[in-house]
Amino acid sequence: MIKKDKTVNMSAAEIHEYRMNMLYKVLPIFSVLLLIALWLLASSGVSDFPSPAEVWERTVRLFTNPIKKLNLFSHVLVSLKRIGIALAFDWTFGIAFGVLIGWSPRAKAFFGPLFNAFRAVPPLAWIPLITLWFGIGEFPKILIVIFGSLASIVVNVQAGLSTVEKMYLDVGTVFNASPAQRLFKIAIPASLDAIFAGVRTSTSAAWMVVLAAEMLGANAGVGFLISRGMDSIDMPLVLTGMIAIGIVGAILAIITQFAERLICPWTRKRK
Amino acid sequence: MSETIQKMTNEERVALVQKQHRRITYRNTILSISGILLFFIIWEALAIFEIVDPKKISDVLQIFKLFILKFTDPNPDGAVLLVHIWSSLEVALLGFLLAVVIGVPLGWLMGWYRGFDSFVRPLFEIIRPIPPVSWIPLTIVWMGIGLQAKAFIVFFAAFVPCLINSYTGIRQTKEVLKNVGKTFGASNFTIFRKVGIPSSLTMSFAGIKVAIGNAWATLVAAEMLAASSGLGYMILMGRSYGRVDLVILGIVVIGALGVLITALINRLEKVVLGWKEL
Repeated sequence: MIKKDKTVNMSAAEIHEYRMNMLYKVLPIFSVLLLIALWLLASSGVSDFPSPAEVWERTVRLFTNPIKKLNLFSHVLVSLKRIGIALAFDWTFGIAFGVLIGWSPRAKAFFGPLFNAFRAVPPLAWIPLITLWFGIGEFPKILIVIFGSLASIVVNVQAGLSTVEKMYLDVGTVFNASPAQRLFKIAIPASLDAIFAGVRTSTSAAWMVVLAAEMLGANAGVGFLISRGMDSIDMPLVLTGMIAIGIVGAILAIITQFAERLICPWTRKRK
Repeated sequence: MSETIQKMTNEERVALVQKQHRRITYRNTILSISGILLFFIIWEALAIFEIVDPKKISDVLQIFKLFILKFTDPNPDGAVLLVHIWSSLEVALLGFLLAVVIGVPLGWLMGWYRGFDSFVRPLFEIIRPIPPVSWIPLTIVWMGIGLQAKAFIVFFAAFVPCLINSYTGIRQTKEVLKNVGKTFGASNFTIFRKVGIPSSLTMSFAGIKVAIGNAWATLVAAEMLAASSGLGYMILMGRSYGRVDLVILGIVVIGALGVLITALINRLEKVVLGWKEL
C-alpha cells in the first residue's frame, strides 16, 4: 500500500493511513533529537553532568591514555571473557540440570525445593559470601556470574521440558520409542525454543551481574571503569562506561536473537 | 494386565488412579524432605567437623541464634534486623510502586497508540540495554545515598519489565473484541479502556512479578554500593568484619522476604484477575 508512489489512486482512508505512516517514521527522529537536546540542556546548567562532547573526549582519551594499561576495548574484552566462561558453564551444566529436573519427576521432587531456595536469593547477594570464601581473584567473579545467570536457564529448560505436548510423547510411545529416544528425539527438540529463551535471559543476566561484581572490586572490566569514574568523580568516564555497557548489552541481545532464528526458525512465526 | 483393567468397574478405576496419585505425591514429599535434609546434613557436617575453615562457614544453630539476637542487638553493623528490613522494604516498595504506576500505563499507551509508540520507543530502546546497576554512580552524584537515590535505581530495574509486558499484552488484544467494540460505536479510547486494558492484565501481572524480582535483586546491589542501612548493607558489613554467620543470615532473610513478596503479589493477582478464571 505504501509502495504506491503517488496518492492519486487512493481512497480518503488510504491517504490518511499513508500520511500517518509517514508521521510514524518521522516521530522517532524527533524523539532522539529531543533526548540529545535534553542531554545538552542538562549539561549546560550548573550541574556537573557532562556534555556529549566531554564524554566523547573522555572516550578518546581512554584510548590514548589507558587505565591500568587497558583501553576501552580491552576492558570490554575482560568483562566478556568473564561472562564467556560463566555462560559456557551455564549452558552445559544448566541445560543438563534443567533437563534432569524437567524430565524426571523424582529428580524434580528431590532438587526442586533446594533449587527454588537458591533461586530466591538475588544473585548479587551472593557477592559478600563468595568473596569471603574465595577472595577477590578471577575465579570468584566468574562464580558470581554463574550464580547470577544459572537460575534463569535452568528454569526455562525445566519449564520447556515439562510442558512438551503430551501428544508428541504419546506418538513416540505408540511407535515404540525408548525413553532415551523420547527425550532426545521428541522432548528436547520440542522445547528448543524454551531453551533458547533461557539462553537469551541468562546472557543478559550474566552481563548485568558481571558489571555489579566488577563494581564491587576489580582491576579491569567495564564495571571497574564505572566505579573508577565514581571514585575519582570523573563523570565523563562513568558515562563512557555506561554507554559501552549499553552497546555491548544490545549487541549480545542481537547475537543471541540471531542465533535463535538460525537454530530454531519456527519460533519466529509463532510470535 | 489389560484384562484386569477391562474387568474393573468405573469406581475401581477411579480408586486405582487416586491411589497411584497418592503414592506419587507421597513419594515426592519424601524425596523433597530428604533432599533438604541431605543439604542441611552436609552443611552441618562441614561446619561441625571443621572440614571447611570455621571462618568460612557457620552451623545452622549458630545462625538461628544470631537471628534471634539480631532483633535486639545492633552490633556489629549498627542497626537491629527489623530496622534493616524496614529500610530495605521501604526502598524496594517505593521504587517498585513508582515503576508500576508509570511503567504499566506507559506500556498500555505505547501498545495502543502507534504515534505515541513511535515517539517513545526509541527513547526506551536507548535506555533499556543499560543495566540499572550502572546508574548507581550517576544517581549517587545527583541524589546522594539516601532513599531517593536507591528508589530511583530500583525504579529503573522494575520499570522495564512492567512496560514491556503491558505493551505486549495490549498488543495481543483479540481483533474480534476490538471490532465488536467498534461495531457498537465505541470510541477508540473507550475500546482501549474497556477492551484493551482488561485483556492485557494477565501479561501486565506477569511483568509486575518479574519487576518485583528485579526490584528486590537490584536493591541489594544498590545497598551494597551506596547505603548506610538495609539488608544489603548488613551483609556487606558482615563481609568486612569477617562475620560469615551475619552474611548467611542476611542472605537467608533476603531470600525469604523475596519469596514472601512474590507470594503476596500472587494473591493480589488472584484477587484482581479472579474474573478471568471460570
